[in-house]
Amino acid sequence: MFQSIEEIEQKFAAQGYITDRHLATTVYLSTSLGKPLYLEGEPGVGKTEVAKVLAKSLDTELIRLQCYEGLDTNLALYEWNYLRQMLEVRLQEARGVAKDKIGANIFDEQFLLERPLLRAIQHHGKRPVLLIDEIDRSDDEFEAFLLEVLSDFQITIPEVGTIRAEQPPFVVLTSNRTREMHDALKRRCLYHWIDYPTLEKELDIVLTKVPEIKELLSIQVCKFMELLRREDFYKRPGIAETLDWANALLSLGIDELDQHVIETTMSCILKYRQDQEKLAGDNLQKALALTKNFKGGPTVSAQGSIN
Amino acid sequence: MTHQSLPFITHIILFGRKLHDAGIDVNPANLIDLSRSLQYIDIASRRDFYAAALATLIINREDMELFTLLFNEYWDALEMPEEPADPEKKTGEGAADSPDTRRQRQRADGENADDGNEDDAESEQTGYSSQELLAQKDIDSMTDEELEQARKIIAELIAILANRRSRRFKPAKSGAQLDFRKIFRRSMPYGEYCLKLAHRTHRLKKNKLILFCDVSGSMERYSRFLIQLICAMGAKISNIEVAVFSTRMTSITPYLNRKDIDEVIKQMSDQVHDWAGGTNIGSCLRELNEQQAHQMLSSHTVAVILSDGWDQGDAGLMRSEMEQLRRRVNKIIWLNPLLGNVNYQPLCKGMQTALPFLDYFLPVHNLESLAEATKLLRTLWH
Repeated sequence: MFQSIEEIEQKFAAQGYITDRHLATTVYLSTSLGKPLYLEGEPGVGKTEVAKVLAKSLDTELIRLQCYEGLDTNLALYEWNYLRQMLEVRLQEARGVAKDKIGANIFDEQFLLERPLLRAIQHHGKRPVLLIDEIDRSDDEFEAFLLEVLSDFQITIPEVGTIRAEQPPFVVLTSNRTREMHDALKRRCLYHWIDYPTLEKELDIVLTKVPEIKELLSIQVCKFMELLRREDFYKRPGIAETLDWANALLSLGIDELDQHVIETTMSCILKYRQDQEKLAGDNLQKALALTKNFKGGPTVSAQGSIN
Repeated sequence: MTHQSLPFITHIILFGRKLHDAGIDVNPANLIDLSRSLQYIDIASRRDFYAAALATLIINREDMELFTLLFNEYWDALEMPEEPADPEKKTGEGAADSPDTRRQRQRADGENADDGNEDDAESEQTGYSSQELLAQKDIDSMTDEELEQARKIIAELIAILANRRSRRFKPAKSGAQLDFRKIFRRSMPYGEYCLKLAHRTHRLKKNKLILFCDVSGSMERYSRFLIQLICAMGAKISNIEVAVFSTRMTSITPYLNRKDIDEVIKQMSDQVHDWAGGTNIGSCLRELNEQQAHQMLSSHTVAVILSDGWDQGDAGLMRSEMEQLRRRVNKIIWLNPLLGNVNYQPLCKGMQTALPFLDYFLPVHNLESLAEATKLLRTLWH
């Protein structure tokens, strides 16, 4: 557990995750109040990363449940290992076990396949971090089921009984907002919207994650990304794209952005053809000019946009 | 006791009430969470208290701006001895006085768009064949045979839209999927190999249907026709919501079982003509999104929009409302009578705005096209 908001900021930074005071406060409250953390934001702004870094900072296990439509209890909670159960019965017969004893043990825990939710609840030792990723992709039924698990942290398996968590896990839910979730679920959580980072923060992130990069290039990259995000693209690039791009430029041995470089490496930042076409030509030159004229250090605020 | 010297907890409750009055729903459990969080943060730090209040009370990004505004308003009034005010305050204030300006802008847009659109609309209308138009065939003038045919097509269309395959399973007599749980259970009495295979298949579930019909100008005839047919099927369809719109949206679901539904629609569209208004799809979609948010808009909803897409409202508003609808419902189908014309291209502003959010864009200019659309949907659905 964390003792203060500052501790979270430091520990996250030690793991290479640059956070802001607002997010650190929310994470701190989530761990202190024992309430799940519900993170929303555009793709690629580092939602999943929060859970990973949280687990590392707490030096505990990260249990991940990736959601998708049709995810049901058999895949999220537990499943009996039917094949092993069948084999066990056959083996017992072969061993000559008395008829009324055959199959008596097949609902033992050794035949139980633990899925992420059960694993998080049965976990012994340090409280794990349970990451329920992309909850917006699951369906209503699963959402309702999750509501129950998250409020009591207990699971009932008919053949075994009720299993209650010794210590409830730290729960982080993430959503890309492809659909609205029920208010009931969100109300059980602490809500935080992760926005695109400011220029200063993004620069911090780039310098932390890609330490070999030259300062001039990193400023240009971040400034260029900031300009891009003001435009109306089908899919705006996230921090993940910035880092990909920075790494790509670094491995190509490039020291400074120019039109040719951007055109050839554009696929790192814009993943749709219509977006790439939109950036070509005049728009690209304008953005590049703005980026190059941006002499101020990271503290000077930007002026002007592409259009 | 002065307002300032109330216990802090009372202020939290008063603040909660203020949020509630402004339309941000806050329930007592959230206020309790906020109160509990006070023991972990330094309440003299406005920044941290703001973060805590935001995390515990807000569950939608859309509410954040208004929340920030109200937050600053409430706590400024108390003059908390404090760090500098939140930087977001400025944007919040901007949002507060915007509705008026927005409306003005909208009106101006509408007027400008008026002239241009009308010309376009006329040239477009002369373009398509008048012989086969549904519009020419009022329900009264159709032969019994045609009426029966139309009813069948619509019934089938609705049946397709109303059913969906659940991702979950139910037992089945045959199929590719084996149900191991059941196979094992069944083989228990014999203790040997499993004697009989059990199968499973996807369940069928019901969708909710929203029919959103344009009744402005020429669209009224199409909408009336479709709604009449749906009424004729009456009670067979559960979970359907029908709304008509032009400058405003009106739900006519309560009237669906009335004999004089025809009259009701006519009255509504007459009203609209009296106002000489054009179509404002954006603001009508907003009404739909707001009014139906909890009852009808879910991931099991299919929204059918019947309109020619001539929008005279704010394109930005329409875009954001379409985006919201897109996120809330499972499928959006747009039926456009103009699409029947081979030369038609969805170039008008409204249609352009809507296109990226649609699952299906289909013509409905006559019975054949409706039957075609139905056939297409049947093969593509699920």
